[in-house]
Amino acid sequence: MTGAASTDAPARPHPSTLRIGVWLSMPVRPRSLLIGGILVVALIVTGVLTLTLGTLGIALGDIVPTLRGERQGRDEIVLTAFRGPRLVVGLAAGAALAVSGALFQTVTRNPLGSPDVIGLTSGASAGAAAFGLLWPGLLPLPVGALLGAFLAMALVFFGTGTGFSSPSRILLIGIGVSAMSLAFVQWVLVRAGREQATVLATYLNGSLAARDWNHATTIWAAIVILIPCALLLSRRLQLIEMGDEQADALGARSSAARALSISVAIGLATAAVSVAGPIAFIALVAPQIARRLSRSAGPNILASALMGAFLLSLADLLTQQLPLDVTLPVGVLTAILGGIYLGVLLFAQWKKGTL
Amino acid sequence: MARANNRTGRMPSGHSAGGSRLAARDLRLAYDKRVVVDGLSIDVPDGGFTIVVGPNACGKSTLLKALSRTLKPASGQVLLDGEPIDSYRSKAVARQLAMLPQSPIAPEAITVRDLVGRGRYPHQHLLQQWSHEDELAVADALSSTGCADLSERYVAELSGGQRQRVWIAMILAQQTDLLLLDEPTTFLDIAHQYEVLELCARLHSDGRTLVAVLHDLNQAARYASNLVVMKEGRIVASGLPGDILTADLVESVFGLPCVIIPDPVTGTPMVVPRAAPHP
Ligand SMILES: Nc1ncnc2c1ncn2[C@@H]1O[C@H](COP(=O)(O)OP(=O)(O)OP(=O)(O)O)[C@@H](O)[C@H]1O
Ligand SMILES: [Mg+2]
Repeated sequence: MTGAASTDAPARPHPSTLRIGVWLSMPVRPRSLLIGGILVVALIVTGVLTLTLGTLGIALGDIVPTLRGERQGRDEIVLTAFRGPRLVVGLAAGAALAVSGALFQTVTRNPLGSPDVIGLTSGASAGAAAFGLLWPGLLPLPVGALLGAFLAMALVFFGTGTGFSSPSRILLIGIGVSAMSLAFVQWVLVRAGREQATVLATYLNGSLAARDWNHATTIWAAIVILIPCALLLSRRLQLIEMGDEQADALGARSSAARALSISVAIGLATAAVSVAGPIAFIALVAPQIARRLSRSAGPNILASALMGAFLLSLADLLTQQLPLDVTLPVGVLTAILGGIYLGVLLFAQWKKGTL
Repeated sequence: MARANNRTGRMPSGHSAGGSRLAARDLRLAYDKRVVVDGLSIDVPDGGFTIVVGPNACGKSTLLKALSRTLKPASGQVLLDGEPIDSYRSKAVARQLAMLPQSPIAPEAITVRDLVGRGRYPHQHLLQQWSHEDELAVADALSSTGCADLSERYVAELSGGQRQRVWIAMILAQQTDLLLLDEPTTFLDIAHQYEVLELCARLHSDGRTLVAVLHDLNQAARYASNLVVMKEGRIVASGLPGDILTADLVESVFGLPCVIIPDPVTGTPMVVPRAAPHP
């Protein structure tokens, strides 16, 4: 029997373990560290390019002095008023969306589970449309978006009949809520005049243009609080991947872990939507790419966060520097890139025969 | 199968061990409003190999879920060491009792070693996520299930039988005295079925308490120190296979006319169906 034959096979040690004294020991994957390192470098490069390229760009050698506050005049204004806040908001919003997507995908055990699909983003659009065009001036757009997102999630929560405990019901009801929200947006747009609709369209696609430091504070506060929460939950989420029963049998209390994770995911996504509008696809695509690159199971929170920050800041860099006659909202670009990625993914699965 | 011979000799002593760390009293188990099990009580003999048999949908998996605290009873109680099982913290229960569900889900892109390592969760803390004991327990579980050579492979690439052994390794890494296994032999060819059963028998003879759901009555009779026969959410017979497994019982529970003869290898009861009723 195979059991007897390999009993004395030597046990290879676990890839590596980070130990600090007796009180800390964590498994560390070399591959994840490598991917993380590469992404950090990519982020720095994208950040530097964002600040230096184009007619308003700060010269490469002037970046450090400007950051130190040693430069006055044009460079300082570009950094503190134009590109600086935009970059800082883009990085954090990308990370927030990606972690939100990673959480949703893990708790629904579905690669399509993301704030886009379960109605959060379209709820935010509906909120923005309502307060931008239907009752203009009542509330600022971001607050309207926030309300819309919360309303959509409340509909999902009560629509399932079991709260956030059943993955398939969340997806089904979410898709319904999403469709209803989008229909509402269309209705508002058709009702409104063409000019007003054009103004709102930029917001509805998600845009990082004209961000200020208030936006930056909001989104950074959200990620500084919520991403550690996601990290704390991630071990229980790894177990949920094996099915709720197995997770419960291991002591992970799957229902509670799922409800907490979804709350964190909603918090992150609404924060991102309120500062940058409903940017499409980052939440869906970033965790998938992160997972494929780091080749590990589980929600991959940190890798997803870095990947989301990279993708969104890269997309925003492109919208700023592409030689087009109009400036696209960054959401249009992420939608195009995400669409291409989804196509590639589906094609790969179809070739493997797993579609 | 020399082991099987040895074991039959030991069976009575295995069964009369006395105590029951795990027991259930007056269980009523339901999904939403649909009652599946009602008024069921059971004592799982310590150190025994309890095998649960019964027709499809009679509530075997439901019973195992309740015993492992993954399903909350509508009424009645599951007792662990004499205390209601829901009075313990979830991780504390998971250090005493492991359960392999009927259809666990293998995550995407996970290696055998990592999957088995997840069985260590109840022993870990926030800051102690991978200790030396974890390392040893995983190595032990891998080698005793014959999975050591597979440890760097991806679970998705394994055959059904290899995967089943990996799942068993995962719950062994949990290092619990009580093991509940829901149909550990489904989808396996006959040789692999016996391989898994032999593994269970080895754990049993090491002193662990096992509860397994099986469909093959002859295998159940061969390996069980305590056979539990269920029908429509109730236990209709339990005890040593040699004492309780009669042709009448099989006919009344499964509706299958049969004769019972001694198993030529182990002497345990063997169910041989009568000729089909049609000509
Ligand atoms: N999650 C569930 N929700 C609702 N009903 C369920 C659920 N799981 C099982 N049931 C029902 O409970 C009854 C008992 O199911 P259970 O899975 O316990 O049967 P079983 O004896 O394990 O059957 P099998 O031999 O086919 O595995 C069945 O009628 C089944 O339809
Ligand atoms: Mg079953």
